[in-house]
Amino acid sequence: MSSPAEIVLDRRRGDVVARLSGEVDMSNATYVRDQLLASMPNDALALVLDISGTRYLDSAAIEVLFDVSRRLARRRQELRLVMPPDSPLRRVIELTEVHTAAPVHESLEQALTE
Amino acid sequence: MRTRASRQEALATLGQQALAGAELDGLLMDGAAIVARELGVDHVAVLELTRDSKRMLARAGAGLPDGVLGGVLPTDPSRLARDLGSASAISAAIGARGRKFGVIEALSRGARDFSADDSRYLEAVAGVLGAAVERAGHEDLVRDSEAQFRELADTTPALMWMTDAEGDVTFVNQGWLRFTGGESDAGVTFAASAHPDDRAQALRLWEEASRLREEFRCEYRLRHAASDGYRWVLEIGVPRYSGGEFIGYVGTATDIHERRGMEEALRASEASFRELADTAPAMMWMTDTDGRITFVNEGWLRFTGTTFQEEMGESWALGVHPDDAEHVLTSWEEALAARRPWEGEYRLHHQSGEYRWINDRGVPRHVGGHFVGYVGSAIDIHERRTMESRLFEVYQREHRIAETLQRSLLPERLPPIEGLEMAARYLPGARGAAIGGDWYDVLERPDGRVALVVGDVVGHGLRAAASMGQLRNAFRAYGLVEASPAEVVARINRLVMSGVEQVMATVLYLVLDRETGEVSFSAAGHPPPLVIAPDGPRFLEGGRSVPIGAAEPAVFRESTAILPPGSSLLLYTDGLVERRDEPLDRRLEKLAEAAGAASADLNDLCERVLSGVLGDVDPGDDVALLAVRPLPVVDTHVSLTLPAEPGSLAQLRRRLARFLHATGATEVEQYEITLTICEAAGNAIEHAYGPGDATYEVEVAFDSGELTASVRDRGSWREKRGEHRGRGLSIIEDLMDEVTVEREEGGTLIRMRRRIREDRAA
Repeated sequence: MSSPAEIVLDRRRGDVVARLSGEVDMSNATYVRDQLLASMPNDALALVLDISGTRYLDSAAIEVLFDVSRRLARRRQELRLVMPPDSPLRRVIELTEVHTAAPVHESLEQALTE
Repeated sequence: MRTRASRQEALATLGQQALAGAELDGLLMDGAAIVARELGVDHVAVLELTRDSKRMLARAGAGLPDGVLGGVLPTDPSRLARDLGSASAISAAIGARGRKFGVIEALSRGARDFSADDSRYLEAVAGVLGAAVERAGHEDLVRDSEAQFRELADTTPALMWMTDAEGDVTFVNQGWLRFTGGESDAGVTFAASAHPDDRAQALRLWEEASRLREEFRCEYRLRHAASDGYRWVLEIGVPRYSGGEFIGYVGTATDIHERRGMEEALRASEASFRELADTAPAMMWMTDTDGRITFVNEGWLRFTGTTFQEEMGESWALGVHPDDAEHVLTSWEEALAARRPWEGEYRLHHQSGEYRWINDRGVPRHVGGHFVGYVGSAIDIHERRTMESRLFEVYQREHRIAETLQRSLLPERLPPIEGLEMAARYLPGARGAAIGGDWYDVLERPDGRVALVVGDVVGHGLRAAASMGQLRNAFRAYGLVEASPAEVVARINRLVMSGVEQVMATVLYLVLDRETGEVSFSAAGHPPPLVIAPDGPRFLEGGRSVPIGAAEPAVFRESTAILPPGSSLLLYTDGLVERRDEPLDRRLEKLAEAAGAASADLNDLCERVLSGVLGDVDPGDDVALLAVRPLPVVDTHVSLTLPAEPGSLAQLRRRLARFLHATGATEVEQYEITLTICEAAGNAIEHAYGPGDATYEVEVAFDSGELTASVRDRGSWREKRGEHRGRGLSIIEDLMDEVTVEREEGGTLIRMRRRIREDRAA
């Protein structure tokens, strides 16, 4: 049994918005990564990953964020995160320095390409 | 001398008489008399040449002495004049269309010079008489032939008839009368004896043919006296002409009953053959004993667009679609080796360039008991196949959509409810679009009790899944405001019955008091909930009523019971226990048995129930399962042994969430502590020897504001394994106040400590 996670995709002009809900751990991290990469068409500028509704991310999920960012960069695309300031995940995101690979925005509007 | 005008008038009168069809001999006599009078001669004779043209017959005359009329004379033209002692004579030939009938002679006793007018007048009379002779001659001929015909007709067994020019039947032969059982030809009208169903058609054909005076041909059923029924006859009528004039039809009817019957049978068999040929084997082939093609028919070549030579040997396999080739050739070779009949469905290269699905079958041929090869046939099933796969895709798509909808409507994770352990399962049906409308839900009521519901919307597919979503919301809404289960169900029934769409659902709605273990429930057409008490499982009977959406007004009942301490409660939908091949009682027994054998862990209970009741068989219907157990109110310790596999992490997190919630930790603290313990557990999982029976142990305790946790594995500790694991360890270190790693005999123990609800600002 893998942990429940769901990705809802949305296209906002040049960006793909992916709302990740549920829990991501080592049981489903690879699945989540593949889904995210597959969601990106070549003409998209950035993948805006909204983790406002994500209840749980572990180190495997963090690794996915680095991996996705790296792979998108090769395609000249960018990964951005949306995480509200009061998110329980904040400290972990900061500790693991995810922001060095994917800029973190407090709201979806801020994260979208202007 | 008579005037010219009188001569002409006399000639006209004679012509009129001839046209009116006057009797020939009278006409001849009249003609002779006119000539005698108008030319003023003593004798006029009309002499007819006998058939042998050697003599002349004195057929008519005027002023002739007795004995001459009716006598026979030699053809010498001067003989009559000599006999009559005439001094002068003129004559004119009477001919009819080139055939010489005879002569008309005018004789004078005294010498006389006949003028040219006299001569022309005589010739004119001869012309009129010739026409009359011709007409009369034909009538004689017709009369004779008709007499002959009748005579002939009556002696033949054939059916014969004649009509006049107006189409009225003037004669039918004895054969006809014998056949139809009629008594005479009097009053016979055409087609009078035809079968009523054929009469209109026969008459139409007859009228068409006779109007155009064409051959008439018709097959119809004619009354048959001997069998007191009708028999098929073929009637052919041809127009009769006499001297260029249409005088009616003569026809025959031939009994074709036997032939017709055979034709009909043939036509029927031909039609079915053609039908067969259109849909069934048009492509045929034969092989030798080694399975090499030795013959393919035209149908095969038409399909492939190849030549006979190209298909010989083993080259047919070249036309098989690459994706199908392996299984087709394997199955063919296996069948050939065993000399068994073979059948394959595969795509074959079609002459159009595309691949088309065919169904190909071959059977071994034996001659004198010896295997001589295969004979086979194939049919094009492309349309059917593509329809099938299109249909399948549609089902698949609907199935996927419905499943997604279903899952999105079901709680992804049961909301943690303090003091209640819960586990739930939803299994979509395996069949086509068998996604049903099963759901489960858990709701904390304002009065502190917990409402549980499992339901099953009748039907499958998208509609059922959508209806389920509506019902689920309705239960959430009424469950919050109504305390009584029967009242909740009744209200929802009223809501459903007032709706436009027909929805029917079975529902079990139950309200549980965690402190007292009291339950009250209403089962609307739903199987009873199961209580797994420490002393064994039992079903909660009572509170039964009709399904929701079945009737309005309907009476909904509720029942109450007390759960013994330590009991679990299992709610489930029909899909778990309903199966056609086994009675419900037996299935419920199996359910109780499986539940009774489960451990205290509710996830284990769910898994055991599913595997024990469903076995290896995928459920045809979908199944929803909800298991709950009220926990002792105080919970200060967690002790778990979990399988060393990633799937156990979610379970661990659920257990930790309930525990941490009870400690009063903040949301951030709950997440961070859960994360650190799970990172340690993840480490243990990665270090496990293998996927087999490896386990790890988690202990968590909370005392005086401090949380202690330990994770023990049975593997060898690895300091760092890549960036990711390093990250995991740094997370543990950063988020916990204190972390120790102890390497033990055959394993590793991580101990962690953290104070809760303290300001941790660094």
